[in-house]
Amino acid sequence: MANNRYTLKKKNLDNNNAIEVDHLSKQFRIPHERKITVYQHLAGLIGGGSYSYEVFNALQDISFTVEHGETFGVIGPNGSGKSTLLKILAGVLYPDSGTVHLNGKIAPFLELGVGFTPDLTAKENIYLYGAIMGLSKKEIASKYDEILDFAELKRFENMKLKNFSSGMTVRLAFSTAIQTNPDILLVDEVLAVGDESFQRKCGEKIDEIREAGKTIILVSHAMGTVQELCERCILIQNGKIVEAGATEKVIEEYHCLSEKGL
Amino acid sequence: MQYRDLIWNLTITDLKIKYQSSVLGFAWSLLNPLLMMLVLYFVFSNVFRFTQEHFALYILVGLIAWRFLANGTSVAMMSIVGKPSLVTKIYIPRQILVLSSTLSSFISSILEFCVLIPLLFIFGANITPYVLFFPIAHVIFFFIVYGLSLMVAAMYVYYRDLTQIWEVVIQIGFFLSPIVYPISMIPAQYLPFYVLNPVTIIIETYRNFLIFGLPPGLKSMVYLVISAVIMMVAGNALFNRLERRFGELI
Repeated sequence: MANNRYTLKKKNLDNNNAIEVDHLSKQFRIPHERKITVYQHLAGLIGGGSYSYEVFNALQDISFTVEHGETFGVIGPNGSGKSTLLKILAGVLYPDSGTVHLNGKIAPFLELGVGFTPDLTAKENIYLYGAIMGLSKKEIASKYDEILDFAELKRFENMKLKNFSSGMTVRLAFSTAIQTNPDILLVDEVLAVGDESFQRKCGEKIDEIREAGKTIILVSHAMGTVQELCERCILIQNGKIVEAGATEKVIEEYHCLSEKGL
Repeated sequence: MQYRDLIWNLTITDLKIKYQSSVLGFAWSLLNPLLMMLVLYFVFSNVFRFTQEHFALYILVGLIAWRFLANGTSVAMMSIVGKPSLVTKIYIPRQILVLSSTLSSFISSILEFCVLIPLLFIFGANITPYVLFFPIAHVIFFFIVYGLSLMVAAMYVYYRDLTQIWEVVIQIGFFLSPIVYPISMIPAQYLPFYVLNPVTIIIETYRNFLIFGLPPGLKSMVYLVISAVIMMVAGNALFNRLERRFGELI
């Protein structure tokens, strides 16, 4: 699984925290002229133009800790750096400075159905996606029937994925992903999948995971969901934490910000 | 190794997609080198009048070996950029994408060599127990190709016109290796430089094992192993250096 590059550090931790983020910063360089070919680089050299770019501070000095078994919310307006934070936690992006300690097996749900291949059957895709999510072939085989039952797609197991409707695809993805049995779950607004009855099932599954004492990081715009699920939250704006603490307080601050039009 | 299932799964998926149109898909990939061999054999034995023992097999072995390098690196170059969600939505060691792509080309190459076996008998190659050394040489070649693939796949993320450049490099390499002409054509003063090309050594080694039934040369084998080690070390070093920003650039 996504055995993240940070997990190496975890062994020295002997406390209750599932996640410790310490003074994390990430900058993106946005070049004025994006050079993505050798030709453009050569032309730039010959033309004597200097490499100029703007620095965009996606995250600045972010610190927080999440305890084991906690459901932790990350909220903020569009472009505030929520997804960048989640990507760093997932190991997809490297931070420029600061550290991340993860204590346990992590499953990033930044997108469902990563690596789904339209030309393969549902069965083949379950095995492929399961392997990508870090399950061994044996583990997938033992959970295979459960996955198809949960997705209600037993009849279609040998159908190619390209003939699936988008709702069916998402159901298959969620059912497979949920089987990864992680200690820490990173969720980026993917809970709203499928039709109403399937959504209800997903909600129940998420509750089940919470009750099993797993840690969940939830990034969402849906304040209702955040309020309902999270005990604590952070509010990020322009790459900085502007409010942290009990969910109600943080959401109130978020509404204040929105009203001021910031 | 925790990623074994994933590597294997991605490799098989690659092959499935490649040979999707079932029997014909696979047949085409074998017909390609055979047809090339016919054309080149005709041109070079009748027009240029090369006299090389077993010239048809000589060309075919060279072509199949070269195809692994040319196709393997060209396909692996796309392995990072071509699977963006596996880079930006989840963390798996990115080498896995290049490795599974190279592995699938390797398996294709093995299949092509399997088709060569009956032809060796038909054209009267000198089959000796030394053919058993062939798999060892091919595994060494795999590591050379994998090291090279790591480099081009990582650089392609940064330089998207590398495909065009690489096409030219592959063309040049084709004529700098003894594929369509006998190595005896090379003027003596250039020969010391010519044999520095590891692909030259690998192709000659393959021919010795498969066609001429000769034992492995110690010097060649050592040179190949050293080349493979250098390619792997350099490939991994470059890849690890460039990999840090993959998530931002794709």
